[in-house]
Amino acid sequence: MAANDVDAAFAAPHGMWTPVSPRLATARRILLAMALIPLAAVGVVLGALRVTPGLIAAYAVVSLGVLVWGWWLIGRRVRSFGYAERADDLLVVSGILVRRLVIVPYGRMQLVDLRAGPIDRSLGITTVQLHTAAATTDATIPGLLPLDAAALRDRLASRGEERSAGL
Amino acid sequence: MSDDLREPRRTAPLTPVLQGAPAIPFFVVFAIGPGSSFLGDLGLSIVVIAVLGAVVGFVITVVFAWLSWWKRTYYFDDEGDLRVDSGVVQRSSRRLQLSRLQNVDVVSPFLPRLVGLVEVRVEVAGAGDSRVVLRYVTASDGDRLRREILAKSTVPEAAAPEGSSLDLLARVPTGRLLGGLLLRSVTAGLLLASAFFIGITILTQGPVGLVIALATGGLPILIVVGEFLTYFGFTVVRSPEGLRLTYGLLSTQRRTVPADRVHAVALIAPLLWRSRGWVRVQLTIAGLGDDPTRAGRDVLLPVAPRQEALRVIAEVLPGVDLDALPWVSAPARVKWRSPIQGSLLAYAITGAVIAARTGRITRRVQVAPHARVQSVRLSEGPWERRLGLASVHADLAPGPVRVVAHHIDLGTARPLADHEADLARAARNRGLPT
Repeated sequence: MAANDVDAAFAAPHGMWTPVSPRLATARRILLAMALIPLAAVGVVLGALRVTPGLIAAYAVVSLGVLVWGWWLIGRRVRSFGYAERADDLLVVSGILVRRLVIVPYGRMQLVDLRAGPIDRSLGITTVQLHTAAATTDATIPGLLPLDAAALRDRLASRGEERSAGL
Repeated sequence: MSDDLREPRRTAPLTPVLQGAPAIPFFVVFAIGPGSSFLGDLGLSIVVIAVLGAVVGFVITVVFAWLSWWKRTYYFDDEGDLRVDSGVVQRSSRRLQLSRLQNVDVVSPFLPRLVGLVEVRVEVAGAGDSRVVLRYVTASDGDRLRREILAKSTVPEAAAPEGSSLDLLARVPTGRLLGGLLLRSVTAGLLLASAFFIGITILTQGPVGLVIALATGGLPILIVVGEFLTYFGFTVVRSPEGLRLTYGLLSTQRRTVPADRVHAVALIAPLLWRSRGWVRVQLTIAGLGDDPTRAGRDVLLPVAPRQEALRVIAEVLPGVDLDALPWVSAPARVKWRSPIQGSLLAYAITGAVIAARTGRITRRVQVAPHARVQSVRLSEGPWERRLGLASVHADLAPGPVRVVAHHIDLGTARPLADHEADLARAARNRGLPT
């Protein structure tokens, strides 16, 4: 099956998906870099145990390889996020390996969350999450600029109120 | 109950005794366990200690239960809401706004039933602890209380009984219930495995097979016995407030399922039930999702012939003919993704509902009205991508029902998702089906 069919299935309703900030990639790469610490610690222990240098080198190559792969994957994953506001519903896409698209009618939103952890705050990004009565609704938009996030939340909230239809 | 329900009244005087009784084993264990080291020094035998523990524990519990019983009263206030005043030291007065009533259940647990008492559970919509349990009242009081609460709750249809107000829709005979429980796919498989291991034990005279057989046979038998006791004598009756379910051997449950709170329906047919044409019906009911007592409360029919099940479902999903759904099968290449159930996977969309069919061994048909769909999801995993397939999920309130059109043609998936979102919105704007 051609790739453009997949793209067609996950295409934005009109024009382009609104992307999220590339700062999200920075935030996730900081977390990835933190994973270096235990990896390095294991390397030091291996060194202290006088394991054959060949093994240590192999270990270093593999862990660096994983890190580089993760670094690259984060970039792709962050670029895969997007959202679009239609007249009656919000669409969110995400994912590379498993691609997802969620359509949430405004009338069904029960609450809109804004979240930002310490790393997010220092970089100036916020996560917007939509909740409906269904626990399986997975509509999360990470990596929005705080002003954009607040504006999106307010728009969603007012549209939700207009179209609210209970359960 | 003598006369006016507006007078504060207590629950049945036997209540403290019934509440004390379950504490006896605990006190006996305490007495012969940690207590005996001290009491044994006094030269008392273990039997005396046990009896002493039982009596002392019982008396203490009953005294406290009696105090709390004495201080607990219930009545209908001037606005027609149910009030419950309680508390020995710190008094509290709870008011249940009956216009927001969700549910009244009359339940008879084992011990109280022996003396003709029941407990009444009242639930109203609202955050936090919005439920009151009156234990215990006499069976006739319970019934009267239930009717009174329903009458005062201004459930509009409740006041207008249509001809014969109580129609028996379904009854599950004991034999069918037991047979159905034993023939469920996993249960039957495990019991078969146990028979196999017992056979091995007899042949080899070794203990290993027997131990395995105990594990594979014991658990399903426990489950079968548990469900048998729970669903014994299952009846479904149509009443003005909704479907009334009554079931249970040791503890009788009476539940009312209001049609307007049903979000989705699942029809489940295990392999060994199909030759007999049996199905189980489960519901997703709004507000039941995170209720710890949900277990078993989502069953509409434990085991019933298909036609009977469809008749009962018609009460909660009016105007939907589950035998005439326009099924759209997954494309043939789905066998590379789901070799076993692939050829059975299908979805259907009508003006009123979205439905999905899954399962080879245990077949499931799961249906939800468009008006109940909370959001629509399109997903495509790597293996699906290779085959040009995608899945469309209709997100529903938490419950046992999942409506997913698995592995449909990629080209139709996005239009289906958009279409379902439109239908869901339109159905909601028209108002909920009643």
